[in-house]
Amino acid sequence: MKKYALYPGCVIPTEQYAYEISIREIFPLLDIKLIDLKNFSCCGEPMKSVNQMLTISLSARNIAIAEAENLDIFAPCPMCHLAMSECKRILDSDEKTKERVNSFLADENLKYEGKSQIVSIIDVLYDIVGLQKISDLVKKPLNNVKVAVHYGCHLIRPSEIGRSDNSENPQKIEEILKVLGAKPAYYPEKLDCCGGLLTSNLPETALTKTGQKLQAVQQQGFDAFVDVCPWCHRQYDSKQTKAGETVATKLEVPVFYLTQLIGLAFGINKEKLGLEFNLSPVDKLKIG
Amino acid sequence: MSIVDLTSMSESQITIKNEINQRLSKLRNEVSDYCYQCAKCTSGCEAHKLLELEPHKIIALLKRGLIDEMINSEVIWTCMSCFKCRERCPQKVAPVEVLFALKNMAVACGKQIPGNYTAMLQSILSIGIIQDVKSVTTNDNKTKNRSELGLPEISKPVNTTKFQMVLAKLAVEKV
Repeated sequence: MKKYALYPGCVIPTEQYAYEISIREIFPLLDIKLIDLKNFSCCGEPMKSVNQMLTISLSARNIAIAEAENLDIFAPCPMCHLAMSECKRILDSDEKTKERVNSFLADENLKYEGKSQIVSIIDVLYDIVGLQKISDLVKKPLNNVKVAVHYGCHLIRPSEIGRSDNSENPQKIEEILKVLGAKPAYYPEKLDCCGGLLTSNLPETALTKTGQKLQAVQQQGFDAFVDVCPWCHRQYDSKQTKAGETVATKLEVPVFYLTQLIGLAFGINKEKLGLEFNLSPVDKLKIG
Repeated sequence: MSIVDLTSMSESQITIKNEINQRLSKLRNEVSDYCYQCAKCTSGCEAHKLLELEPHKIIALLKRGLIDEMINSEVIWTCMSCFKCRERCPQKVAPVEVLFALKNMAVACGKQIPGNYTAMLQSILSIGIIQDVKSVTTNDNKTKNRSELGLPEISKPVNTTKFQMVLAKLAVEKV
């Protein structure tokens, strides 16, 4: 059984409970053990516009906490995963910056060494667990529901840093969905950004981005929309009604975390997958 | 420590400013020359249609050294950090990274930080994460938080005083 330190970040453990609940529910079935560690802080990525050194230092601090326990890190939030991967890339190739960051961390008796690997949700599901194992666990196939996949920006770009899938034509989530019995389909807006990062300073524009993409998805007759990022999910699911107002459309697109759809296909009941937190009309979809 | 130390123009900000200056000069001297203004970045820019951000123009302005003009402009804050410009540039110029450096510079120069960034930063300083645990509304109109869901206690810095020392060092470190 593989084990990882679960690095939940900020948004998942403070409000996007459905993601955390569904991860904790399905991971044991996939033979992945998650260890909860104390003392983590923000990954720093939301502060990159304010002070990039703060971003690197916060990421290094979190990695150092897992390294002290000899654990690799599973970061389900793609933004955290990007921040930590970038931090690792910088510190592993630049002794001087590493020393400097470690001098900051010394106050907390922490030290970044570069031993721990950082894996994303797609790394775990597709590359570590694999399609075969997921397929073996499917009890209630997803009846050919037509699904629009949203990867989110940080999971696939910038590829120079090492991301989880191809930056222009990612397919790993589609392949997972096919194994679950769903029918993912291409749509031209697939790589469009959710706009979520503008929430801090231009919330209306952020919602317009969200609304435009969902509107396109709705017009193209998709049954469901799937994402893997708490920032994107907050836009598409939690704020769907408001997003609809920005494009003058009544949006009724059921939005799920990938881990929730996997759980439903495994025959887990919806209470255990946090479906009560999905504010988009998920009940429209008769699955599970 | 207050938020002022991390963001405002004070003696302690000199190191940070110098560093960002170096970053910008490096981008200007070593990178911006590679840009031949094909505007592929702008054609795919997520912020272009709605907010008129034009990454290729950012690089052109950088090339001319018009940094003050850019840090005084609101437009640098319209980037959605989608990284498409960095991904697609045929010359490996990364406008998004230039924009991060410009925003960092604006902050270090004591320009007003727009929107919620200040609140997030304040929250990191006091509890280590960008927001505290929330009660969330379910689709049948109940409100629930972590503890009611049987989730383990949230992970955040155990010793806040020491954690703040780390952040303080970062902000006020002198040469």
